Amino acid sequence: MAAETASPTASPVAWLSGLVRRTAFAVRVSLSRRDGRATLGLVAVAYFVLYSVGLGHLGRAGGAAVRGGTGGSAPVLDLFVVSDPLLTATRRVAPFQYEPVALLTVGPIEYLFAPVNAVLGLGLAGLVGVTLAVSVVAWRGPSACRIGAGAGAAAGLPGLLSGFVCCGPTILLVIGIQASAGVLAVLQWFLPLAVASLFVTLLWVGSRVDPDTVR
Amino acid sequence: MKRTRRSTVGSLTALGIAGLAGCLDGGIVGSIREGGEAGEGGEAGEGAGSGTTGETGGSADGNDGSSDGTVPPTADGSRYLAYELDHLREESLSGGVGVDGIPSIDDPNFAPIDESNLVDDAPVFGVVRDGEAKAYPQHVLVHHEIVNDTLGGDPVAVTYCPLTGTTQGFERGATTFGVSGQLVNSNLIMYDRETESRWPQMLATGIDGSMYSETLREFPVVWTTLGEWRSERPDSAILTDDTGYARRYGNDPYGVYAPIGGYYAADETMFPALSTPEAGHAKSVVIGARSADGAVAFDKETLLAERVLEGRLEPADDDVVAVADPALSTGYVYRTPGDATVEPDGNGYRVEGGEAGSGGGFDADDLPLDRVLAFDAMWFAWAGFYPDTGFAGEHTEAGYGR
Repeated sequence: MAAETASPTASPVAWLSGLVRRTAFAVRVSLSRRDGRATLGLVAVAYFVLYSVGLGHLGRAGGAAVRGGTGGSAPVLDLFVVSDPLLTATRRVAPFQYEPVALLTVGPIEYLFAPVNAVLGLGLAGLVGVTLAVSVVAWRGPSACRIGAGAGAAAGLPGLLSGFVCCGPTILLVIGIQASAGVLAVLQWFLPLAVASLFVTLLWVGSRVDPDTVR
Repeated sequence: MKRTRRSTVGSLTALGIAGLAGCLDGGIVGSIREGGEAGEGGEAGEGAGSGTTGETGGSADGNDGSSDGTVPPTADGSRYLAYELDHLREESLSGGVGVDGIPSIDDPNFAPIDESNLVDDAPVFGVVRDGEAKAYPQHVLVHHEIVNDTLGGDPVAVTYCPLTGTTQGFERGATTFGVSGQLVNSNLIMYDRETESRWPQMLATGIDGSMYSETLREFPVVWTTLGEWRSERPDSAILTDDTGYARRYGNDPYGVYAPIGGYYAADETMFPALSTPEAGHAKSVVIGARSADGAVAFDKETLLAERVLEGRLEPADDDVVAVADPALSTGYVYRTPGDATVEPDGNGYRVEGGEAGSGGGFDADDLPLDRVLAFDAMWFAWAGFYPDTGFAGEHTEAGYGR
């Protein structure tokens, strides 16, 4: 394959093209297998849930202030939609955070639906899931695969962190770092950096997979 | 298969572009403008009078700012400031959201307070103006920070900064206030939508824009609980969570007050303070007051236990006294010129040597002395803005003085 023959210094375009083709092939092969699809599904769902929790969009309904009282029991299923969802959905409230357009309450769980953030979360979830799926398939394959289990963890970490930094400085309270102009500037760039690092990790994982051993 | 892959790549590319757009859009994190529009001044502590008089402790009239009242009305004189205004502007930083990223409530809805389903211990911010009583629940304001409302026929803004634990009321004229997304000393920097001047809430003073160095007209807001406010003001209305926004109002992103936990109980702060006091828990609550020439803080828990605390506005060295109002778990601050003294008298208070004469049985909010507007604040925030503040009482733990 081109990735094996082209040199990154002598012919960078051919080398990169070969790398992408090889990675795409590894992804296709991985997702054709049941363990690959299962990994993608589980990881993507888990990531999206964590991302939504990190944003504060998903969690337990009610709180200390609104428990009890005289309002009666809360409905099992409730949906509130803002008056102008289309306009509201595109209103940015912070870097990579957009205004929610609906609040869905299902029993003890409530979910704030912000369409742009849902797309961002699903995109990140898909990237992390695909990378881990390729890693798992390669790891479970014959020893000829030149990849270890550590690659999977490496693939997931930046994406997970990016999900939590989306909730802004409140994450700093959890990890005990005081915000400064520098820290906040870094936080603003964390999500695109995470997306970039996920692509790089995916290409790296894909380049390490020998297609012949994972068919 | 090929088409699916291309679609996926296209979607991810779009996400990347959206991500970069999210990062590079300068409108997201509203920045304090450079000093081009800054007016003259910046001198701290100038001006006459505290601007807080009368039984409500509200601000004295200054001017309406413009003939049509479209800019926020201002008070006579200024508030004491320990720092130059330009320094305060330079110390401002992003709180992580953009201009109006935390949306103010501009169309508030209210219900009779006896219809509320909040627990009795839930913190609410109570206001009475021209006989009209309203309560603003903390769990709603933590998601909006500013309510542009009308009270007693007057356009006002009731504001709350969760990071400094401060709730204050301002007259707003025909304009409205919004959340700039910037903080100084962890405190909310508001902006008025007419001139876009920047106003740190606790200072009530313009630090940038065409209203630089002007002082807003304030009125008192009481930090109390739903149960206490309902007992004292059964005629009150209460702000509902029918705000027009989709929010998880049962979820406070910073912590919880009943019982206290999270940021509200931690000795650490999220953002750097302008200065750090030598003693005291960062989140212990003080009742702070400032005049044109000084500031004073009374530990709230100590005040509620001892009922009367004497203190001094520093660096002015002016005597003041704080008295507790157990019914609302709050306190009020009065000047004590000369040898005037205050002591408990049954459920009320006795004043000796005041300019209006001596007497007993006065309610805590109705002493015959010159009242200074006061409000609750986390100790770190008060000491950060006023490092040379007077202090009275014992330092206590985090809480809201109850």
